[in-house]
Amino acid sequence: MTKEMICILCPNGCNLVVYFDEKNPDGFKVENALCPKGKEYAQSEILDPRRTIATSVRVEDGEIPLVSVKIDRPIPKNKIFDVMREIKKLKLKAPIRSGTILISKVAGTEANVIATKTVERVK
Amino acid sequence: MIERDVVIIGAGPAGLACAVKLKEIGVSDVLLVEREKKLGGILNQCIHDGFGLHNFKESLTGPEYIERYVERLKKFNIDVLSDTMVVNLFQDKSMILSGPWGRERIRAKAIVLAMGCRERTAGAIGLAGSRPAGIYTAGVAQRLMNIDNYMVGNEVVILGSGDVGLIMARRLTLEGARVLMVLEKLPYSSGLPRNIVQCLEDYGIPLYLKTTVTKVYGKARVEGVEYVSLDDDGKPIPGSERFVKCDTLLLSVGLIPENELSREAGVEIHPITGGPIVNDTYQTNIDGVFAAGNVLHVHDLADWASMEGELVAEFAKRYLEGELSKAKRWIDVKAGKGIRYVLPHKISGERDVNFLFRVDSPYKNRYIIVRDKDRVIKKRRVINLHPAVMENINVKSEEMKGIESLEVMVE
Amino acid sequence: MFDVGIVGGGAVGSAIAYELSRFRLKIAVFEKEPDVCFGASGRNSGVLHAGFYYRPGSLKAKLCVEGNKKMREWFKLLKVPFKATGKVLLAFDEDEVKELYKLKEIGDANGVEGLEVIRGRDKVNQICPGAGEAIACLYSPMTGIFSSYLLTIALAETAHQNGVKYFLNCKIVDVRKENGTFKLKDQRGERYECRWLINSAGVYSAEFSKIVGVNGYKIYPCRGEYLLLDKALAPLLKMPIYPVPSKEVGGALGVHITPTVEGPILIGPSAEYIDDPEGYESTPEIMNKLFEEGYKLWPYFKKSDVIRSFSGIRAKPVPPGEKSFFDFVIKEEESIPNFINLVGIESPGLTSAPAIARMVREIIERKEKLLIKEDFEPRYLRGERFEELSEEEKERRAKEDPKWGEIICRCEKITKREIIEAIENPLSAKTLASIKYRARAMMGRCQGGYCMPKIIEILEREFGYKPEDFQLHKEGSWLFSGRMRKDD
Ligand SMILES: Cc1cc2nc3c(=O)[nH]c(=O)nc-3n(C[C@H](O)[C@H](O)[C@H](O)COP(=O)(O)OP(=O)(O)OC[C@H]3O[C@@H](n4cnc5c(N)ncnc54)[C@H](O)[C@@H]3O)c2cc1C
Ligand SMILES: Cc1cc2nc3c(=O)[nH]c(=O)nc-3n(C[C@H](O)[C@H](O)[C@H](O)COP(=O)(O)OP(=O)(O)OC[C@H]3O[C@@H](n4cnc5c(N)ncnc54)[C@H](O)[C@@H]3O)c2cc1C
Ligand code: SF4
Repeated sequence: MTKEMICILCPNGCNLVVYFDEKNPDGFKVENALCPKGKEYAQSEILDPRRTIATSVRVEDGEIPLVSVKIDRPIPKNKIFDVMREIKKLKLKAPIRSGTILISKVAGTEANVIATKTVERVK
Repeated sequence: MIERDVVIIGAGPAGLACAVKLKEIGVSDVLLVEREKKLGGILNQCIHDGFGLHNFKESLTGPEYIERYVERLKKFNIDVLSDTMVVNLFQDKSMILSGPWGRERIRAKAIVLAMGCRERTAGAIGLAGSRPAGIYTAGVAQRLMNIDNYMVGNEVVILGSGDVGLIMARRLTLEGARVLMVLEKLPYSSGLPRNIVQCLEDYGIPLYLKTTVTKVYGKARVEGVEYVSLDDDGKPIPGSERFVKCDTLLLSVGLIPENELSREAGVEIHPITGGPIVNDTYQTNIDGVFAAGNVLHVHDLADWASMEGELVAEFAKRYLEGELSKAKRWIDVKAGKGIRYVLPHKISGERDVNFLFRVDSPYKNRYIIVRDKDRVIKKRRVINLHPAVMENINVKSEEMKGIESLEVMVE
Repeated sequence: MFDVGIVGGGAVGSAIAYELSRFRLKIAVFEKEPDVCFGASGRNSGVLHAGFYYRPGSLKAKLCVEGNKKMREWFKLLKVPFKATGKVLLAFDEDEVKELYKLKEIGDANGVEGLEVIRGRDKVNQICPGAGEAIACLYSPMTGIFSSYLLTIALAETAHQNGVKYFLNCKIVDVRKENGTFKLKDQRGERYECRWLINSAGVYSAEFSKIVGVNGYKIYPCRGEYLLLDKALAPLLKMPIYPVPSKEVGGALGVHITPTVEGPILIGPSAEYIDDPEGYESTPEIMNKLFEEGYKLWPYFKKSDVIRSFSGIRAKPVPPGEKSFFDFVIKEEESIPNFINLVGIESPGLTSAPAIARMVREIIERKEKLLIKEDFEPRYLRGERFEELSEEEKERRAKEDPKWGEIICRCEKITKREIIEAIENPLSAKTLASIKYRARAMMGRCQGGYCMPKIIEILEREFGYKPEDFQLHKEGSWLFSGRMRKDD
């Protein structure tokens, strides 16, 4: 089978053309990728599409009311809203340091939720 | 009046990178002025990832990207005045600073303009209809959500497919709002292809090209919008009007370099980029006034804005040392066929130049040509050219020897 | 029980309140919107008219000429930005030149000072650079420009400071007169009483007159759309440029180009009869038309200079197609004593406001003696503009209070202290538009892109606003559907 897709790993957004056979995952051929990551992406997008997400968590007593967070590795696409649900429940107290793991293995995935901003405590 | 060697106005990716670089190369008297409490500019609200792929070789979120620079800033002990706005800028390179600490006039030997950009508004695009609450520019909505913890609405139509709009489509969806559609008047999206995939397609949000909003309904709050299809000339097709109920209209219709201060000081502004006209040292028409980042031209990537800041740091240093000799003559760089604009606008021909440009519409399998009348100086084949993506082409000074004009074009 | 109840808190209602607040009277103003300048008084050309358009002997003529003089005093007392620009009417052919002479004759008869017909392209351009191909103009030195919403706000707040009570969000829906007392009811069922009742309900004046029991008036809402051009163009336009009046709609002055005291340039207004008295819309057809007509008069702008559009609605007493002259109605109704009706107060209603207020006072004085209040303070004690101070004074103040140093609106350079003063307005007007009009924030090029989130932060942190408290300009004009991350 052939499939065209846009690689989303970097802003180049290569227009990949992928030749593959679902029964033989090693037989992937990818054209138009400017870098080797393109092939990995194509393979994963077809066999097990994954995404990372970024959102916010409520912080009390902070200089701002939210700390931005991300997950540290891609999760299966169909888990996105499960992960969001877990993150929405979380409430923290300032200070929060950027890089802190806030939830490990969120919603049964391998990914951790980590803070991407430092929020200092006020008063 | 206090006098500083270099004053950088704005601490976004461009200003921060410029400050760090100046210190790295040995300029000791640098002042970085930022009107917000936090350094980092617009990236503080860009909590998604995709930053730093060029400068740090990994995908960072906006705040993480900023943090890297702020750490270096601290290491170098750079003089920062945050929560301070430059309210006036004068031709003699003096300026008035104002903040909760007070107000003061200072002067600089060299100034780096790094004020970033602002968004085009509803008025600017001639949006018809009433003016209810619920019309936000995408960047304002992004700030209200990601920093101030407000939800701007429940049922959203997004006008314009710029990257900020696309990113917000995903953001709103993740937070439980319904994004009904994204409308774009051009036959192609002005956002990056990867954002169309991961922000719209992933969530089944339709993107209608050659479509625009013609009317907003609602007196108190937005109650819906009317949208129409456009023909090849961009004119509404009669009878194609449709109505969609919504309570929020987000606008992602372009960014405008923030040059009020520059204009006040007498800096010449380019009609297409909306930023200062600069030569191959990134100097404006005022000696010792440089520009970098979105204030100069709107970048699609913060990484490029930072790189521009670093480049300007080098020129500013040489200016302070009196080594930026005046060119014997300036050659105007022409944006030829297929090119919307090229930077720098003027070159001396005596220095290597990395020309930055944007094309005027998408192209496939073309050549980028740099030429002096009939003499081709440089030619490069490219598979994909997109107006959303800034391109570049490097030309060495040897290659420009003896040129009389210079034009960059697509063929 | 109030001595005087005024229905409608626009420029006219508030001018009457200000005038009457000099006397020992208990006065109430009822305004259905959340603020006083949301009707015609905040949506117009802001031109102080000289008075040469109106039939000699008419109220419009007399009150406009009188108001033009009196208003200059008011501008000083009330700190209303005003520029004595003068104005020109341009003629492009001989027929139009004839019209100029006719208007001059009318103006002279009305007592308008200094009118002059100037002939010859060069001379016209000398008086008004940018007049282009015009062959003659009528020059009116008494015309000027001012901020109509700041006038309305200053009138209301100064009246308030002198004891007038303002009821905002208060629509009077029912009036009965019993034993010489007017009994008023608002949309929530609250009741009020007064001895005198004044109808200054603008485009709703005919409707309100009917509620009180006087039929026979009709108002035809007539929309005027405007475009606003970037203030970068301001140095090119010295004074308002008008065409010879349009003959299409009775009393409309035609699309003109007007500088504003804030800087942006106005093009408009169109004239279009509509059904909805609050149909404040911009339409693509008219926006295009304004652009074209404006360009004919003053070809110095491009599409990208347009920063905004808006519209206002005239309270026209003449139906579509009717071209004859209609005057203001200002009188005590014989059928209902002590009910003073003001109907059809269209242009030059702003200019005439001081004279209208004087007339209303005299109507009351015919029946009762008004006693002067010794402690009346005619000056507006707020509304100082930081940006207009000298640099030394600015530096001094910024040292004195950090809120003078912190700039919230970068386009208009408005300080935090001015924003807070606007939030703490004496009328307790709470919408974002109320802050916008008072502080002149959120009005510049970025239309609030920079300062709106900052103002929201101030309202939240220093005034305890909850997400549901934020309204743009009207009941129901919510800004936020809630918190993104809730606290419960
Ligand atoms: C809403 C929005 C979203 C974006 N999203 C993305 C994205 O997802 N990915 C991406 O790669 N790029 C994105 N960009 C583009 C990217 O942010 C820019 O390329 C980059 O931030 C430009 O950096 P800069 O330093 O030139 O400007 P900015 O980041 O805008 O920084 C300018 C700084 O100058 C300060 N300043 C301005 N005027 C004054 C003054 N008078 N006195 C003192 N300080 C002043 C401002 O407060 C600001 O901090 C986005 C841009 C915008 C506007
Ligand atoms: C497009 C346009 C341009 C103009 N240009 C000029 C100009 O350049 N110069 C000039 O002198 N004049 C001009 N005018 C005329 C001028 O704006 C008006 O004459 C003036 O503003 C009328 O003031 P007002 O207080 O009567 O009306 P408004 O400001 O409309 O006030 C009436 C108020 O009554 C309230 N109200 C109505 N019904 C009720 C109720 N039942 N209970 C409580 N409150 C109620 C309304 O909400 C409103 O706030 C212009 C008018 C328009 C429309
Ligand atoms: S293939 Fe490589 S270069 Fe192309 S978009 Fe993917 S990551 Fe970027």
